[in-house]
Amino acid sequence: MLRNFIAVLLLLWAFPVQAAAPEDVIDGWYRLTLNLVRHTATYSPPVASRAFAYVGITAYEATASGNDHLQTLVGQLNELKSLPKREQGKAYDEAVVLNAAMDAAMNDFFSNTGPSGQHALAAQSRLQKAEVAKGLAPDIVARSDAYGRKLEKAILAWSNTDGGAHITNLGFPLKYEMSKLPGHWVPTSSYQIQQFPLLPDWGKNRTFAMPMGATCGLPGPVPFSEDMNSDFIKQAEEVHDIRNGDTGEEKIIARFWSDDPGLSWTPAGHWIGFILDIAKRDHFTIAKTSATLARLGVAVADGFIGCWHEKLVYDSIRPVTVIKKYIDPKWETLLITPPFQEYPSGHSTQSGAAAVALTSALGDNFAFDDATHERDGLGVRHFKSFWDAANEAGVSRIYGGIHFRKAITDGLDQGRCIGAYAAKLVMEK
Amino acid sequence: MKRALSLSALLCGSICVAPALADPVIPQFKNETVTAGIHSIYKGEWQYMVGGGVAALDCDGSGKPALLIAGGENKAKLFLNRSKTGGALKFAEAKNSGLEFDKVTGAYPIDIDGDGKMDLVVLRVGENKIMRGDGHCHFTQMNKQWNIDGGDAWNTAFSATWEKGNALPTLAFGTYIDRKFEDDPWGHCTDNWLLRPNDKQDGYGPRIALTPSYCTLSMLFTDWNRSGTPSLRVSNDREYYMGGQEQMWKILPGAAPTLYTEAEGWKYVRLWGMGIASADINDSGYPSYFLSSMADQRMQMLANGATKPAYKESQFEMGTTAHRPYTGGDERPSTGWHTQFEDVNNDGRYDLFIAKGNVDKMPDFAMKDPNNLLLQKDDGNFEEVGDKAGILSFKNHRGALLVDLNHDGKLDLIVVNRRENIEIWQNVSTNLGHFVEIKLKQDGPNLNAVGAWIEVKEDGGHIMRRENFVGGGHASGAAGFLHFGLGSQSASQIRVLWPDGTQGEWQDVKADGFYLIEKNKAAKAWQAGD
Repeated sequence: MLRNFIAVLLLLWAFPVQAAAPEDVIDGWYRLTLNLVRHTATYSPPVASRAFAYVGITAYEATASGNDHLQTLVGQLNELKSLPKREQGKAYDEAVVLNAAMDAAMNDFFSNTGPSGQHALAAQSRLQKAEVAKGLAPDIVARSDAYGRKLEKAILAWSNTDGGAHITNLGFPLKYEMSKLPGHWVPTSSYQIQQFPLLPDWGKNRTFAMPMGATCGLPGPVPFSEDMNSDFIKQAEEVHDIRNGDTGEEKIIARFWSDDPGLSWTPAGHWIGFILDIAKRDHFTIAKTSATLARLGVAVADGFIGCWHEKLVYDSIRPVTVIKKYIDPKWETLLITPPFQEYPSGHSTQSGAAAVALTSALGDNFAFDDATHERDGLGVRHFKSFWDAANEAGVSRIYGGIHFRKAITDGLDQGRCIGAYAAKLVMEK
Repeated sequence: MKRALSLSALLCGSICVAPALADPVIPQFKNETVTAGIHSIYKGEWQYMVGGGVAALDCDGSGKPALLIAGGENKAKLFLNRSKTGGALKFAEAKNSGLEFDKVTGAYPIDIDGDGKMDLVVLRVGENKIMRGDGHCHFTQMNKQWNIDGGDAWNTAFSATWEKGNALPTLAFGTYIDRKFEDDPWGHCTDNWLLRPNDKQDGYGPRIALTPSYCTLSMLFTDWNRSGTPSLRVSNDREYYMGGQEQMWKILPGAAPTLYTEAEGWKYVRLWGMGIASADINDSGYPSYFLSSMADQRMQMLANGATKPAYKESQFEMGTTAHRPYTGGDERPSTGWHTQFEDVNNDGRYDLFIAKGNVDKMPDFAMKDPNNLLLQKDDGNFEEVGDKAGILSFKNHRGALLVDLNHDGKLDLIVVNRRENIEIWQNVSTNLGHFVEIKLKQDGPNLNAVGAWIEVKEDGGHIMRRENFVGGGHASGAAGFLHFGLGSQSASQIRVLWPDGTQGEWQDVKADGFYLIEKNKAAKAWQAGD
């Protein structure tokens, strides 16, 4: 009998029951978030960025609520006035709180995913709930789980008033008054559903860290002109010539940053993806991981709101329309021209914002490998810094034939302005 | 010229209008689901969110097609055709046909061994069954005898062709998601594969994997450039692949399959590929392809002639986007499945049918998603008439067939529904144009001349042209008479371009008849039992 008892003790010592760590919890849910963004039809890049922001804030607040070194975002993010607090003197498990909050957030923000997404959500809920509870007292699990879900519900309620909660018709309006003025946007897609621009009111959404969508305004695109010697036509010729003379490397870069909705994690998810890899590579603590992901989520979400605000202000025409009309009727883009206005470039704005936010959090000259599209056969790219990546994301849009240069340079500038607000958020005390 | 037009416009002012094109005749369908004697439900959860096909085949020499209907978790059922010519649709469930398998997703008829008795390839979640017909609507599994490994995959697509010199057809199977990854299905597509006859031509050699494979839902051997050697078009579901796209394989006799590349003109197209329809819809001499998908459906027209497999998407200008329900009040985007070009009003132009239905509780897509029936007009564009034609339904549709079930020269419609009984409609129109229906026959193993092209002279000098293929649609296929509308013509001329390249003579046929055309013989009016 005693020998058996000792054997059990030895077994427990060698293989203790180990619950999942918070770092595993956040990584697991974020990996699923990326998949669901790709496979949920409404998740165009702006909508995806919003989800990354709220999921990130949820994970961060769940973590911060039990960590004295982290500062809540209440009072720092627009109209986030309060969040539930933990009961004083009661024990909580950090992984269970985090898991419950993220589980609830995923099920709320991706409630419209398809049957395979629902399967994946249910499976992950089941698996992670069991993993985090291993070896814990039931009352601690119950209390922690309830708190995580209560916290998420408060964030969900806050999210419902931002103007971006309800997406219909995949984000395309059923009615929209198009400008007939020359140089204004005209549809470039042969899909009926894309004859009006995607999410024309997105720029009116409540922002997260920056004051409002109009905060980081831009000077506007090169003025439209039909004069073949004008700057306007010259910028179109540049896009035409680059595309026609593209090297293999330019094509690779264009496709690497294409980040098409429904076929990728979208531009925002691209940045989230390599941060998850960096967090794993550098063994980030849960505090650092959740703070970085929340800051990044806020930056890209504000980036898309600011960018969309300017898109509606300038309502500018895409290169393919100009080039086909004035330069080369048979010209084709490498990438699919997105079904909305050209100026500024969304990927540039949000990448610029992301680069500012991440540089502030992790430092300049932070080198990393980006394996986002490895499974899609697009290889791994190395970057010397976040700005190195942002600049490449920007220029990729010329290589793809979908933006003029000014939309990229101004977009990156706008991102620099927007990202500064995310960078200012006080998170780690 | 420009000046003349301007002057004309000026003189007309606002009272002149362009001459009206004749509106196509809208066919009338009568729902006979309750009385036709068919009850079959495509049942099942995740593994049956796709599939749900139907095969139409003459299994007893009567000429009229029987129907094998996939049941998913329910057993497949064969329904024998008891319809009188021109009469109401009547079917009786066959007992002990040998086809009563569960886990069936779809089926395609093909006379594999060339014995004149139609066989069936039955696609399943699990092992595919290759079933040899005995001419009396009984079937025997031949996987072992023909050395066909039915595999253990989620099978969703099939096509076949006779490669030159072979006694047996080359078979292509399309598969979907690896079932082991139900909780994380993305990026887990299983291999499609090809089976070629062995050296002795008495069975099949080893599987040839068509890698990369991208979760295929339809495939079709089709002679896209009229070279005499069909290629294999593959339509893939972008929801589940990574790094994937639409594909076309070069299948050259004796050579390993290779993909057409961007350098050769193949475009990088990604969609939720669900079904393929094909016909020469614009008298170009080449097939066009309609690809069903989610939201906008795709119409692909050959862009640069036969030298490059480059296709222009023309759904927008042709009015075939079918991107959201045309009626019923649900404005969310549509989900397309089986699709098929046929002439439903016998005016000598191809019309288009698309089965529609939500995958399963996808709230961003229409739940009330009616099937489309798009009639081709004089100007080549299409017009929706599903509701006016009487086929309006809001069930969850999947596989389907437009096929003449009662031999009255008017195409009827059967649609398989997920979790509900099938629906069947008789085409009861009384004001349609004339028609002719053709069955091909040649000596040798490819008895039904799969791969032949049939050309029919139409009103106004245009040619209605179609390829005799096995495959395409969504898990659904038909074998038997090929139907052509003739418009107001009381007679026409037909010629066949046989699979070996032999060009048949133009032959006179009277309207409103069924013909058997044998290679090197005069067209013969067909009688039941021929």
